[in-house]
Amino acid sequence: MKKFTLLMPGLVALTLAACSDESGSGAAEETENLLTDDWDEVSEAGMGQEVNMYMWGGNDNINRYLDEWVAPRLKEEHDVELTRVPVNDAQDIINQLVDEKAAGKNEGSMDIIWINGENFKAAKDNELLWGDFSGQLPNFNDYVDAEAPEIATDFGEAVDGLEAPWGKAQFVFVHDELKLENPPKSMEELAEWVKENPGQFTYPALPDFTGSAFIRHVLYETTGGYEQYQQPAADIEDLEARLEPMWQYLNEIEPYLWREGTTYPESLAKQDQLFASGEIGMTMSYDPALAASEVLKGRFPESTRTFVLEGGTLSNTHFLSIPFNSSDKAGAMVAINEMMSPEAQTAKLSPENWGDLSALDLEKLSPEQQDAMNNVDMGEATLPLEDLEEHRLPELSADYIEIIEKGWMENVAKE
Amino acid sequence: MNKKPFLLKTTLFILLFIIIGLPFIPLVLSSLSFGWQWPHILPESFSFRAWEYVLFGSSGTWQAVWMSLLIAFTVTAVNILLAIPAAIALVRHQLRAKWLWEAILFAPIVIPPFVAVMGIHLTFLRLGLTETIWGVVLAHISPTLPYVVRAIIISYSTLSVDWENQARMLGAGPVSRFYYVVLPHLLPGIAAGASLSVLISLSQYLITFIIGSGQVVTLPILLFPFISGGDPAVASAYSLLFAGIAIVTLTVMDTALKKYYQNKKTAIEKG
Repeated sequence: MKKFTLLMPGLVALTLAACSDESGSGAAEETENLLTDDWDEVSEAGMGQEVNMYMWGGNDNINRYLDEWVAPRLKEEHDVELTRVPVNDAQDIINQLVDEKAAGKNEGSMDIIWINGENFKAAKDNELLWGDFSGQLPNFNDYVDAEAPEIATDFGEAVDGLEAPWGKAQFVFVHDELKLENPPKSMEELAEWVKENPGQFTYPALPDFTGSAFIRHVLYETTGGYEQYQQPAADIEDLEARLEPMWQYLNEIEPYLWREGTTYPESLAKQDQLFASGEIGMTMSYDPALAASEVLKGRFPESTRTFVLEGGTLSNTHFLSIPFNSSDKAGAMVAINEMMSPEAQTAKLSPENWGDLSALDLEKLSPEQQDAMNNVDMGEATLPLEDLEEHRLPELSADYIEIIEKGWMENVAKE
Repeated sequence: MNKKPFLLKTTLFILLFIIIGLPFIPLVLSSLSFGWQWPHILPESFSFRAWEYVLFGSSGTWQAVWMSLLIAFTVTAVNILLAIPAAIALVRHQLRAKWLWEAILFAPIVIPPFVAVMGIHLTFLRLGLTETIWGVVLAHISPTLPYVVRAIIISYSTLSVDWENQARMLGAGPVSRFYYVVLPHLLPGIAAGASLSVLISLSQYLITFIIGSGQVVTLPILLFPFISGGDPAVASAYSLLFAGIAIVTLTVMDTALKKYYQNKKTAIEKG
C-alpha cells in the first residue's frame, strides 16, 4: 500500500503516455516530387490540406490580414485551409524544430514559418528547412527579381530557394512634425539635434533588433560607408580600430539622451511607448509603415512623420519557408504562392491591413497591377515608395552584428 | 463600543480595494484608449478596437478560453487524484527516507519548471505527446502538484487517527472510512490546493507553448505576443479578460464548496 500510493503518480503518467497516439513515419518520397512536378500537380496535391502557419502574433493588424484576407481566399480559390499559430519569438520556432529533428519527428505540424536573418541562418545550418522550393512557385518566377541581392541573400546568407520572399522592410526614423520640423539628414545632424534637445532622444538597448539596426547606421556613417563590410568580419584585420569612431559617436551623445543615457529602453515597444506618451521626440522602426498604422490606431499623434537619412537606411527582406517535417508541403507551397500574388501583396501594403512593403519587382507587374500598388494610401506618416527605394542600404551579415552587440555592452553601456 | 471594529473594517476594506482594485483602472483605460499623450491623466478619446479584436475578431479568443479552462480543470482533477494518496503516505506512514520523497514531490517549486520542460519536450516528442492536450496536461502537473500535495498534507495532519479508528470500530470498511471520515475533513485542503492548481495552470505560457507546440492554444499563448510586442491596448484587454476568468472560476469553486457544506449541515440537522 505504501509503495503503491507513492508510485501512483508515475503509473498514471505512464498510462497517459501509452494512451496517446504515436505519430507514424512520413511519406518522404512523395513530397520530394513536389520539387520537380508541374505546378498544376502541386496545387492539386494541395487541395484539401490544412496548413499551419507559425508566425509572430503580436500585431492585430497582421493577424487580421492573415485571418480575414488571406485565409478565406485560400479556402475559396484553392481549397487550402490556413491556420495561423501565434508565436512570441521566431527563435522559439527554430528551437522547436531542432528538438523535433533530434527526436526524429518526421510529421510535424509546422507547414509555413515566417523567418529571416539569424533565424534563417540557424535553420539552414541545422538543416531544418525542406528544400529548394521557391523556384516552383509561379508568382515567384513571374514577379520576383530572383537575382536581386536582397532576394538572393538574407542578411548575407545565400537563400538557395529554401525560403520565398514575403515582404520588405526598411529602417525609418519616426518623429512628430509639430515638435521637429526639419528632421536631421545625417548622423552628424542627428548628433547636433540630440545635443540641442537633451532628453528627447534614445534608442532601445542592444540586443534589441531595432536598437541594433540603429547602431549599424552609425557604423556606416561614421566609418565611411557600407561597402567595406560586404566581406566576412574575420577577413578585416583591423576591425576593432575601424569600429572605434562608432563607439566615440555613441558615447558623445550619451549624456544628452533620455535620462542622461544612464539607462536605455529595454525594447522598441518601450521606446514607442515613450514616444506615444510624448516623453521623447523621436523613435525608430524597421517597418516604414508602422508609424502610419499606429496613427490609425490612435497611439501615435496625427502629426507623426517618418524620415530616412540622406545616405540611406538599412533594408531587409523577410521570408516564408517550409520546415523539413511539414506534413502538408503541397498546401504550404500553394499558400506561399498565393501570399506572393500581386493582389495579396497590394493588400498587404495598405496600413489598414498591415503596411508591409511588397516583395515583388514593380517592373515585372502589368501596368494595372502597378497602378493598384502605387494607388495604395500608405498614410501621411509613410514616405513615398520611391523615396524609400532610393535610400536603401544592404544589411550587414550576422557575424558583424554579434561583434557590434558585444562591443556596445563593453564600450557604451558599461562606461 | 462597536465603533472601533467598524472603523478598522472600513479602513481595511478601502485599503484592500486600493491594493487590488487600483491596478485595474489603468488597464481598463489603456484597453479603451485612442491616443493617450503625456501630460493627460485620462486618454483623449476612446475606442473599442482592442476589445473588438479580442472578443469578436478572428482572434480565436473563446476557443482559447475553453481550452485553458479544460486544461486547468483536468490538471486539477489529476492533481487531486495524485495528491491524496501522496499526502496519506507522507503523513500516515512511517516511510524510510521520507525527506527524499518530500524533496522529490516539492522539487518543482524550487526548480524552475521550464528547465525540466526543455528535457521533457524531447521525451514527449518521442512518445508522441507533444501537440496534444494530454501532453500539456501532464506538463502542467509538474508546477502545480506540489501546491496541491502541500495543501492536502496540512488538512491531513489535523485529522487524528482516532477518528478513523472510531469508524473502524463501528464496522466501517476502508472505502466508507475514506468517504465519510477522511474526505470531508480534507475538503478545505483540497479546495485550497485546487484553486492554486487552477490558477497556476491558467497562467502557464512557456510550458504550454513548448509542449503544445502551438497546436494547443490557451489564453496566455494569445496574450504573450501582444505584451512583448507592445500593443498595450490589446494586451490590456487580454489581461482584463484573463483576470476576469480567473476571478469567475475561483468564485464558482468557492460557492460550490460553501453549498456543499451547507447541504451537509442541513443533512446532519435533519438526520
